[in-house]
Amino acid sequence: MTTRALNAADRGRGPYLWRFTPLQRTLHAFVIVSFFGLVLTGLPLHFSSAPWAQGLVSGLGGVRAAGLIHRACAIITFGYFFVHLGSLVVLARRSGWKRLLWGPDSMMPQTKDLRDIIQMFKWFLGRGSRPKFERFSYMEKFDYLAVFWGVAIIGFSGLLLWFPELFSRFLPGWAFNVATIVHGDEALLALSFIFTIHFFNVHLRPEKFPIDLVIFTGRATSEYMEEEHPLEHARVAQAGGLEGLVAPAVSRTVYLWSMTLGFASLALGVTIIALVIWALLH
Amino acid sequence: MRGMVCLACGILAVWVLGAESTDAQAVPVVRCENCHGERDFFTGGDSTLFVPAEIFSTTAHSGLTCTACHRGFEAGFPHSTESKVVSCQTCHEQEGVDWASSIHAPNATLRGDAPMCVDCHGIHEVFRASDRQSPTYALNVASLCGRCHADPSVIGSYFATADKAQARTAVAQYFETVHGHALTVAGLTVSATCNDCHRAHKVLPADSAESSVNRRNIPQTCGACHEGIVEVYEASAHGAAQQNGSANGTGHSAPVCVDCHSAHGIVRADEPVWHLGVVEECGTCHEELYQTYLETYHGKVTRLGSTLAATCSDCHTPHNMRSADDPSSSVNSAHLVETCGSCHQAANANFVQYRPHADPRQGDRYPVLHWTWLFMTSLLIGVMVFFGIHTVLWVTRLTIDHVRAGKAGTPS
Repeated sequence: MTTRALNAADRGRGPYLWRFTPLQRTLHAFVIVSFFGLVLTGLPLHFSSAPWAQGLVSGLGGVRAAGLIHRACAIITFGYFFVHLGSLVVLARRSGWKRLLWGPDSMMPQTKDLRDIIQMFKWFLGRGSRPKFERFSYMEKFDYLAVFWGVAIIGFSGLLLWFPELFSRFLPGWAFNVATIVHGDEALLALSFIFTIHFFNVHLRPEKFPIDLVIFTGRATSEYMEEEHPLEHARVAQAGGLEGLVAPAVSRTVYLWSMTLGFASLALGVTIIALVIWALLH
Repeated sequence: MRGMVCLACGILAVWVLGAESTDAQAVPVVRCENCHGERDFFTGGDSTLFVPAEIFSTTAHSGLTCTACHRGFEAGFPHSTESKVVSCQTCHEQEGVDWASSIHAPNATLRGDAPMCVDCHGIHEVFRASDRQSPTYALNVASLCGRCHADPSVIGSYFATADKAQARTAVAQYFETVHGHALTVAGLTVSATCNDCHRAHKVLPADSAESSVNRRNIPQTCGACHEGIVEVYEASAHGAAQQNGSANGTGHSAPVCVDCHSAHGIVRADEPVWHLGVVEECGTCHEELYQTYLETYHGKVTRLGSTLAATCSDCHTPHNMRSADDPSSSVNSAHLVETCGSCHQAANANFVQYRPHADPRQGDRYPVLHWTWLFMTSLLIGVMVFFGIHTVLWVTRLTIDHVRAGKAGTPS
């Protein structure tokens, strides 16, 4: 039995191919750090009666400090959101809006995604082969759009709650009641999804266990790409673009940083899920 | 109040002294001292009979002759050796009557361990309550009462049952909290000590209707020092209900001072422990409002230890709480901008449409909130269930494939 690389993106034959740009990797790291900041400071408020709530807040430096961290992370979130929107505009200018929205490597849901979901369930039930994905599977599109929707919804409702006096100039006061529910429940959905489903789909499922660092290192082996994104791989190969995607092996420094951030995030995420379950059962 | 009593006693003492001094039968103190001032005279005998004039001369009774209290010895020596009862009540008439009706009196008579005059005031060294040497001086009262009320043997025999739990910790709690601190730490002799609330002589248990600490009398007792508050309280919804004797659905009668502030563990209203404590206190009766408050940002950050967010009394006022229908209520729609504005400076008519006790589960009262809540909850459950099934099926598929591959002898 050959030794299996810890990082799923390191497994298999072939040269490394670029999958994510430095900007995408950096933004994802910002997503992780700010999201943990928001969750750790928001969760004790959402579950203020949980046995761990008081201790967590004290550990973060008290209610005021938690509030400040939450708002600081919110600013980071708005920051990466707008940087990303800007990068989409740049991308659209380079390759056209049509390609960005409806091309094979688009993030927009398309009829193929619906077919893929159906095909996936057929495969689950032993009635068909596994669907072949393009650059982004329907799961990755869901992750992405959920964050997109989440940042917009949680962000806007959060601003309402941050500046109620300002927004009350043109919104009725009960909008803050609505914002409270939307903000907390949408955030609960986001963390519940990310720390279970996203973790499973990307890192913990047997094919990839225990971790997939492609979002941190930006590169994966050719075999990984053929398995995970066969249609994209074939499309790029046919267009003769594989040569241009060949990447050097990841440096030791980047590898160690990626491992650290990756495993720390997995551990923290699973811990947070345990806290949520504890709070719900309490 | 205490000052008045002392002054009255003083006048009484002077009057008694004047009356006695004109009495031909009076025996001057100097003649008793011939024998009772000699320590050697009583060697081997009763040492309490040794009463040198010095210890007597600076007391509140310094102008009195011995026989003013020790009646029956007016003829001088030789005199009977039979002991005769000393009655303080002869002069201190009202105090005697008050003590006789107190809880101390029957226990002193029947069990002999409750205080009589001399237990608190001393025998010959009786000082005015305004004299720092006196055990009844404001700074010394709690220790004086604590001699019995903090003594485990007394607590164990009088206050052992669950309903008297408060009495077991009262003295210790008093020293740790605002009234005790004001006296012992800040030296504020105007601060309340035991006798200010329980009275000095007519000490009665709270369940006695005549007691100064009976629920019906508490507003007046506290109001004796906390001027102005009692009037506001009496005009409030709580005060009105208390006067009607009405109880709410939970069987609690309307709160009086000690229900929110406690009796002995009183803390300052600007201390963090008060901030959350008062919410729980209000919640013992206002259960639904308590729950809905804790669902809001105000309630949640307060529960986590914030002292900035509004608690009950910030919106409903500490003592002047009234129904929202009452035009003079702080939470009447006419006053909401002002009330919310005390924290949210820019509060306007829109702002005060916020519902600080909204319950999204109540669809009839809060339809928009209810549907928002239902939508968000359904979204959460829907997404998690769909992807939960997705995940379980995925793991199942891979497990089946793995087992089949193993059986077929294919290396995995």
